[in-house]
Amino acid sequence: MRFRTQGVLLLLCGAALLRVSLFSELYLRYVKEGLRPYLVMSGVLLLVLGVLGLVRRENGDGDHGHEDHQGLGHDHSRSPRIAWLLAAPALALLIYPPPALGSYSAEREEAKVAAQGVGTFPKLPAGDPVELTLNAFASRAQWDSGASMKGRTLRLTGFVTKDDDGRWYVARLFVNCCAADAAPLKVQVRGSKAPARDTWVTVTGTWHRTGKPGSDEARPVLNATSVQRVDQPSNPYEKR
Amino acid sequence: MEERGSLADGARLAARGFVYVVVGGVALVAIVTIGSVLGPMFALDLATPAMAAWWTVFTSIAVQAMPFLLLGTAVSAGIGAFVPERVFSRVLPKKPTLAVPVAGAAGVVLPGCECASVPVADSLMRRGVAPAAALAFLLSAPAINPIVLIATSIAFPGNPAMVGARLVASLGTAVVMGWLWVRFGKEEWLPPRRTTGKGASPTGWRGFRDGLQHDFLHAGGFLVLGAAAAATFNILVPRSVLDVFTDSPWLSVLLLAVLAVVLCVCSEADAFVAASLSGFSPTARLAFMVVGPMVDLKLFALQAGTFGRAFAIRFSSVTWVVAVAGSVGVGWWLL
Repeated sequence: MRFRTQGVLLLLCGAALLRVSLFSELYLRYVKEGLRPYLVMSGVLLLVLGVLGLVRRENGDGDHGHEDHQGLGHDHSRSPRIAWLLAAPALALLIYPPPALGSYSAEREEAKVAAQGVGTFPKLPAGDPVELTLNAFASRAQWDSGASMKGRTLRLTGFVTKDDDGRWYVARLFVNCCAADAAPLKVQVRGSKAPARDTWVTVTGTWHRTGKPGSDEARPVLNATSVQRVDQPSNPYEKR
Repeated sequence: MEERGSLADGARLAARGFVYVVVGGVALVAIVTIGSVLGPMFALDLATPAMAAWWTVFTSIAVQAMPFLLLGTAVSAGIGAFVPERVFSRVLPKKPTLAVPVAGAAGVVLPGCECASVPVADSLMRRGVAPAAALAFLLSAPAINPIVLIATSIAFPGNPAMVGARLVASLGTAVVMGWLWVRFGKEEWLPPRRTTGKGASPTGWRGFRDGLQHDFLHAGGFLVLGAAAAATFNILVPRSVLDVFTDSPWLSVLLLAVLAVVLCVCSEADAFVAASLSGFSPTARLAFMVVGPMVDLKLFALQAGTFGRAFAIRFSSVTWVVAVAGSVGVGWWLL
């Protein structure tokens, strides 16, 4: 592989990174929010390297001639064919960015809320309805001995998943670093017919108590009064 | 080389370059056009949910690793181009036995994940650092740097023993591996030392740029290979299957140590994954966090690409055993 092809590959990678991080918010489908500046910097650096790699040969190669003839193994003008593999994710991002993970991933795993022990939670913020993250709802449903959600109108946003017993859930994936470590959060919805899988919905309703806090029966369940279709948010994963 | 023959060479190169650009350019335009027209249609056909999830996980790992890989190759190219050999021979003790723990502890300074450490270790060896010391650095850097330790303490709130145990077990494993290399390692397992002499590879800015470009592409290719393997396992093996094994303490340690190898979670995130595996004993979760940054598919691919397959197989398998033993020992002691 010569400088020129190397340059093209670098340009591809740089352009792919910039496309998802600088010119759109698609990167949120793949990695956590905090990585954005580093992705942009990497993209710019790769573009610069790629352009330098392309330009210098066009200027004539007199000043770099010796590199081609250097027999001592570590020859920078060649790199193995394996580098071509970089084109796969780069072209995928440029042409058809893979979708965010959805119900397929969420249904495979059991939803788990971090065990934190039973106790009282701070009061919910004012507002009617109150917007909650799925994690906040689920942990209050499972661990709150003060029943802070009782009597409040709550609103949750996520995509639709189902289980084998005919229940349906509003779900969201929690991503720590990149989508490879996604873990699902689910809240069962009662009192409304299930939309199609992977539909994004905002569900308004009240908390349905299923058991004593801390026991296995205490599961996150919502009695829905309304289910509205919404667009997929720019960050499809659960807020940290 | 002399300037004489360079004119003919230059003409030939220019002609070849021209052909490459034309052919490559046409091919690229064709691919992009066809791809952007047919791509969505094809993708919809291919988009069984599992396949779509595979692509997403695969791309995520590649995107996530890109900045760290670039950081690692930049540091490695910087060492190659700007840091003279005598710096390392002055800083590190002469005896490899002593240099190993120093290099292992120096792993604290490289903030990043495991993708960054392979090219850096490679350039350290090229700069004449004893392989044993460079390898100790390779193993310790992704596991004990401050970012990773802070992430661990966030993932295990109110459990500082876990952070300490991770630090001790990881550093211990790295140092033991270095010493094992001093005692048993053979030079021929590594690729022939390329350019230890002077003047063999360009230094200064041009050397930096060449090194960066070469190492990034090289390591990047292997990274993509590893990402594909990791995504495949991620899709084939749902994590909930593991809960079956949580009852046996020994089996669970081995199981999570294997899981760390196949999942290839970045060392900055693995603590959160370990924390979510709540059915397992603390020692098993420690093993997951100690093995992960040292041995995984992605890392194996990177090592095989950089140091050769003969090395990577031996080194990774022994590291796995030492890391499991180390985490069991430290887990029994601290957790």
